[in-house]
This record gives sequence, C-alpha cells and structure tokens, in this order.
Amino acid sequence: MRRVFPTGMGAALLMAPLLLFLALTYAWPFLGVVEWSVTLPKPGFGQYEVLLTDPLVQSVLIRTFRICAIVTVVSVAAAYAITVVWIRGTPMQRTVTEFCILVPFWISLLTRAFGWVALLSNRGLINTWLQAIGVISEPLALVRNEFGVIVGMTHFLIPFAVFPLASSMRSLDDRVLLAARGLGASRMRTFWTVFLPMTLSGIIGAALIVFVFALGFFVTPAILGGGRSVMIAELVYLRIFQSPDWGLGAAISVVLVVFVAALMALVFRYVRPRQMI
Amino acid sequence: MPTYRPGPVSLVLAALVGLFLLMPLLAVVPVSLTPSRMLIMPTGELSLRHYRSLIEDPRWIDSILLSIRIGVVSSAFSTALALCFSLGVWMFQPRFTALLVGFVLLPMVVPPVVSAITLYFLLTSISGFASAFGYDTWLGVAMAHSVMTVPFATVLILVALSQIDRRIDLAARGLGASVWERATQIIVPNIKFGIVTAALLSFILSWDEIGVTLFITSVNAITLPRLMWMGLRDNIDPAIAALSVILILITVTVLVIRGIVQKYRRRA
Amino acid sequence: MTDDTKRQALDSLSARMLRGEISRRQFTQLAGLALAGAPMLLRSSDAFAETKELVMVNWGGDAITAYDAAYGQPFTKETGIVVKMDGSGPTEGSIAAQYKSGKPTWDIVDVDPFSAITLGAQGMLEPIDYSIVDKTKFRKGFGWEYASSAYFFSYVIAYDSKKFGDKVPTSMADFFNVEKFPGKRSLYKWGSGMWEAALLADGVPRDKLYPLDLKRAHAKIAAFKDNVVSYWGGGAESQSVLLDGEASMAIIWSTRGSLIEQDSGGQIKFTWDEGLISPGAFSVLKGNPGGKEAAMKFIASAQDPQKELVMFDKLGQGPANPATDALIPDDKKAINPVDPKNMAKQIPLDMEWYAKHYGEALDEYTKIISA
Repeated sequence: MRRVFPTGMGAALLMAPLLLFLALTYAWPFLGVVEWSVTLPKPGFGQYEVLLTDPLVQSVLIRTFRICAIVTVVSVAAAYAITVVWIRGTPMQRTVTEFCILVPFWISLLTRAFGWVALLSNRGLINTWLQAIGVISEPLALVRNEFGVIVGMTHFLIPFAVFPLASSMRSLDDRVLLAARGLGASRMRTFWTVFLPMTLSGIIGAALIVFVFALGFFVTPAILGGGRSVMIAELVYLRIFQSPDWGLGAAISVVLVVFVAALMALVFRYVRPRQMI
Repeated sequence: MPTYRPGPVSLVLAALVGLFLLMPLLAVVPVSLTPSRMLIMPTGELSLRHYRSLIEDPRWIDSILLSIRIGVVSSAFSTALALCFSLGVWMFQPRFTALLVGFVLLPMVVPPVVSAITLYFLLTSISGFASAFGYDTWLGVAMAHSVMTVPFATVLILVALSQIDRRIDLAARGLGASVWERATQIIVPNIKFGIVTAALLSFILSWDEIGVTLFITSVNAITLPRLMWMGLRDNIDPAIAALSVILILITVTVLVIRGIVQKYRRRA
Repeated sequence: MTDDTKRQALDSLSARMLRGEISRRQFTQLAGLALAGAPMLLRSSDAFAETKELVMVNWGGDAITAYDAAYGQPFTKETGIVVKMDGSGPTEGSIAAQYKSGKPTWDIVDVDPFSAITLGAQGMLEPIDYSIVDKTKFRKGFGWEYASSAYFFSYVIAYDSKKFGDKVPTSMADFFNVEKFPGKRSLYKWGSGMWEAALLADGVPRDKLYPLDLKRAHAKIAAFKDNVVSYWGGGAESQSVLLDGEASMAIIWSTRGSLIEQDSGGQIKFTWDEGLISPGAFSVLKGNPGGKEAAMKFIASAQDPQKELVMFDKLGQGPANPATDALIPDDKKAINPVDPKNMAKQIPLDMEWYAKHYGEALDEYTKIISA
C-alpha cells in the first residue's frame, strides 16, 4: 500500500497527546513512587527488607493470598454455574440470568458493600430473620471480619469471571456434545468429560482476571473487614493516611505491580490471550 | 441452536448464584425506610426521612453536582484523547502499535491501589506550583479520572474502528482526501456510536470512582462516592441506603429499557 | 493567590515592562506564573485577611457536626473564613507526615496534649500565640506551649445493660472478667488509657499507677486478646461496635458514650467508675495553609462559654473554660467528666509520662494487637 502522507508526522500528531498525557500523569509519578520506596525514611532498600521480614506485613500478605485464593475459586465456580444458563438456556432463562449478572455489575461498589453490611450485620436482615425464626439465639458475626470480606469480594468479582467464561462457552462446537450424547453418555458424564475440559481456557482466563483484581482490592475489604481483616492493598492506604510510612506504602505498591506483571507474563506463556477473551 | 439446555442441577445452581447476586441490592430497600438514624432494620414504622435528607442536606446535592461536573469534564477529555490516539493507530498502523496500546492500557491493568498512590504523588506534587489542579481540587480529580478512564475509552473506540471497512478510507485517500478530511468526514461519522459509548462509559466510571478518589481528596473536592464512603466509615448513615435505592432503580430502569430496545431491533 | 494580589502583580509587571526594565518575554513568563498562582514566588505577607479557609481535623462522625455547629459556623459568621471539618483522626503519626510532606493541608488539630508536646519539641507545631488565645480562660494546670486547653473527656466503660441483667460493671477488673460479664470487648487502637485499664484490672492501686509498668500491662492485654472483637480507631467505630451488638462492653470516650446512650434508648450505658480523665487540646501545624493568625483566632473563638456549652450539648465534652460550668443545667451534669461528683471516681492520665513514653509504648501495643 502506498502511503500518500508522510506517516511519521500524522501519526505522531494524533498519538502524541494521549501518550504525552499519560507519560506526565502516570509514568513520571510512578517513578516518583518508586523513588519514595528507596528514599523514605532513609535512602536504601530498607523498606523492601521490611516487606520480607516484618511480621505484620507477612501476616497481611498471607491473609491476602488466602483470601484471594478462596475468592477466586468460589467466584469462578459460581460464575460458571450461572454462565452455563446464560449462554445455553431458554430465552427466558437467559434474560433472567442476564439481569442477575448485569444489574450488580453496573451498580457502584459502595452501594454493593453497603448492601452486604445491611444484610450481614448483627442487626441486619439475615441475623434478624434467623433469630426471628428461632434458628439462632445470638447474632452471627458475618461482617466486619474475613467472612464478610470474602462474601463482598466474591459478589463483586462474579460478573468479571462471567465474561471470559461466556466467550469460551459460546465458541464451543455443539456437535461434540451431540456426539457424546449420541454415544450414550449421561448428562453428568458429558459435562465433566466433554463440556468442562473444552472451556478450560475460559476458566483459566477467568481465574487469572479474578485473582489479579482481587489482589488490588481495598475499598470493599476496608468496608466489610472493619479494619480487622487488612489486606495488602488496604495496608498501602493505611500507610499513607493512617499510620504514615510513605516509603513502605510505595514499596508495597512496587512489589504489587511487579508481581502482577510476572503472574500475567507467566500465564501468557502457557495460554494464548486470544483464547481467554 | 444449542443441542441441549442446562439440566435441573444447572438451573438450581444458577438460581442460587442469581439470588446471591441480587440479595444485597434488595437488602438496601428496608434499611432505607428505617426511622432511626443508625443502620438497623425498621422494627415498627417506616419513614421517608432519609429520602428527604437527600434533598434537604446540601452536602448530598453539592456532591452530586460536583460528581456530574467532574464526570462531564473528565469523560470529554479522555474521549478526545482516546479518539485522537485511536485514529492515529488505525490510520497509520505505526510500528510498536502493540507496545503503545499496552502503555495506554496501563491504568486499567495495574492494581487500582497502585494507580491511586501514583496519582496521589502526582497531585500532591502539582499542589506545589499549580494549586488549582492539585490535591483535593475538582480539576485535579477530573484529571485523575481522565487518566483512569482513558484506557476504557481507547479500547471501545479501537473496537469500533476495527469494524469499519477499510476500503472506505482507501477510497477517500485515493480520491485525494487529506488526513483531516479522512478523519472528520469519513471515519468519525462511522464510529459515532462507539465514541458516544466511550464517553458514556467514561462518565459512569468517573461517577462511581472511589479507589483513586479516596487518595486524592480530603475536605474540598467531595464527590458523591467520597461522601458515601465517609458515611459508611463514620456513621453508616441510612441516607446512603436511600441513595442506593435510587441509584439501583435508575440502573435497573436503564438496563430494562436497553433490553426492550434491543428486542425491538431484533424483530425489525 | 487572591485576585487582588494577582492584579497587583500583573499591574506592577506591566509597569516594569513599559519602563523597559523587563523584556516582553520575561513579562510573559512572570505573568504566566502569577496567573497560575505561584504562591511561593509572589505570596504577599501572611495576612489574616488573605485566609479563605481553615481545615480543622478531629476524630470524625458526630464530632464533625458538633464542632461545625459549635465553633465552625459561628467563626464563619464572625470572620467570613470557612472552616472545613476533616474527620480522619489526627494521630501523632499523621500530623508528623503532614508536616514532613512540606505542604501541609491541615490547619488546626484536635490532639492529646502529650502528642502536642512531642510534636512541638520536633518543631512541627506552632507555639500557641497567647496574645490572641486567652490563658486566663483555662483551668489551673492546663494549657501548654504548643497546645491550647480545649475540653476534657474520659475513657470509660460502656456496657450493654440488657446483657447483664442486674449486674453492673464498676471497675476495670469487671471489664476484664468475661465469666462475670460474658461477651466480647472492644479496646482503643491508639493505646491511651488502655495500659492504665489493664494495670487497674491486674490489681495495681490507683496511686501507684505511674510510672506505668508497661511490661505488666502488655502481658495482660496479650493474654486478653481472644476476648477482644475489635480495636476502635475513631469515634464512630466505637459507637457502632456497641450499637451493633458486636461487643457487650467497650472502653470508649465519654463523649461518644453519652451519644450511644441516647441512640440506644438507654440500653447501652456507661459508668464513671475508674474512668480515666484526659484533657483535649487544639494545636496548629507549623506552616499551615491558612496562616498562623487565622488559626489562633479560631482557637481563641472556641473559648467562648456559650460555644463550649453547645459542644457539651452535642458531644458531651467537659468544658475547658471554668466559666462554662455555671451554664450547665443540673439534669445534664451526669455526663460532664469534670463535674466534681464524676471527677471523684476517676483517675487523671499523666500527660508528662505520656509525653516521654507514648511513642514506644504505642509501638509495642500495636505489635501485640496486630499479631
């Protein structure tokens, strides 16, 4: 193809504003944050040492991974269950499930977190109802602890897991299923040996997305954890605003970025991104 | 046509998940009608005082207006930037496209808390010499929101562009159109829907934005999410419940209308 | 920069340019800076008239509405300066971070006097200007170089009376006794008062409390950890942990205690027995954005007995100005920490000890409760 116009200038003119904007407002300040991590309070890698050795940080990291792992498994499983119906159900079933998936997706996460607090707190809907029908005598501690955080995060992440799963289910060749049934396999058998393995790339994609998102969460856990189930992202917030230690907050952020990048690079080596989205 | 529909087990599981997804949204309704000033289920009477306080309390109105202002400015800015960039990518297909697009998508991909601390650094630095754009100012917040929404706008516009037939552009070039003419008279009119979607999504993302906003505001630029957060941390003000019910109703209405419009289109 | 200063700056720049003193290019550069509001280059003297806004930082929730009604709004009416309330809770660490950032955004903070002593010694606070703030309006023995005596409050035991029937806690020993008073507890995240509570519960007599035996206190707290459902960091949290029923007893500020009693319809009460009374103070950050003079004027305005009465009404703060005592109605005396009847039951916190030891004590305490 002949280029009628000098490519360089036209392209540069159009693409420069955004690139320049992000370089100034994102790339440069991030370098500043990295600088914080190696200069506050004293120059050196002290803060990174703290990350590796400080017992508080260690316990926060362990808690984070535990919660993110649980949330990933539950979210992807739940998303799988509802996506199957969304993609392959009757039109009526599809409409209903679509409603269930999209409405929470479009509602602000603060409203959702608040909804869970209203539902789970000691004088909330669930406890009031359970006590009213006599199942329990003392309210259950369902929120402002790790349980509340897991519930809130799962609720937020299910729609995000749905989309990669949906995409892989849509591209499934139905004839394979037909063949399996034709050969006499039961519903269950067809599902476990044919359907599920064929959607594996979707599952991995969904799990990756959910896990990575979960790592960076701090607003939902801050509200539902009541400050008691602090995860790594919330620790950054606390180290900037509550018990300030900017160097540590910066160091945690840097490590988080590096870890996420490494994780994605690792997974992309084994699963082609095309298959996930 | 799927060969077989999900069986009863699948349906039950899906129903449970669906219920789980909708539960908190339903829970908000009774709380919003409690007469007490604390977050508890109404025990006897119902009261509309929290809905009233939304209208009467100037803080809620101010924050809503501020959020709208920031949303409009930031979405306009980010859509414009995304449009220019995407046009450049599509029209010229420069080398390193993947790398450049990857760079642009960073704010979307990076964990939100990292973006938050980065923008905190940015705005507090700016406060030193251009205080109108700095920490805890509405312009600063608008700028930060633009940074966070521009990747989404870019993706949407790139997707819209990918669906145009390149031959239209080729034809225009063959007829001697300049870059400007091609962009404004040929390409942009064909992606109008994509641009509007990008702007709308940017607005909604800015309207709901809380993670980064928490780091860059304190007492002055109080957006609606910021005010809700303060209410959630401090008092669990049931006015938030009233606000949530209204927001949920709006969302549901929009989705339902969209669903109906799509059905109509399919039939026609 | 105000529009006035900008105009003056631009006027003088144009005058200089016309006289040939500066080139056109220099004029454009300097004018650009002036318009962008480069405060550091072109700031006029730190005049009171320039201040548009002050930021006061307190412990959040109901304190915000109370301070705003009692001090903020009247000050705005008198001077035109808007007082914004920030409820994030000015801990020693966050005040230090504000100062170290080089561009503090806080003006006045509601602090513990011992924190003011520590931070003031490090040069992070302005000494109180006692030509503006009136020392004679303090009670005897209160008022410090870097902090103005603003109110009194106590750490008291608050409890859910419905849970215990006839039994009523009367001491810290009762608080730490989960057999006699079952249920979970909540303690203060930032340590103050908690060490004394632990020591009193462990049997240390009142007059032998100071200097605090931290080892003994921390041992008791560590052993008690399983019974603590949360460590509240701010006022609202302390209220909700009791109102939601998460804890059956908590040691909280008496100010919030009186509010909880109202909100729970009398179900959640508090007692002055073995309460730990503490002074509260206002300090000004060094280099505060609104300027020293405006901040001092705000603090002086808060000494008015009528305004202190509003604070007492809305938040239950014991007044700092002795003249306010006469204004408190009889039926409200029960919630006043400095009322003689209530004072007799309480133990004052030792500000000198805290000024010397708070930092390290808090570090150790935080390690124990976060583990």
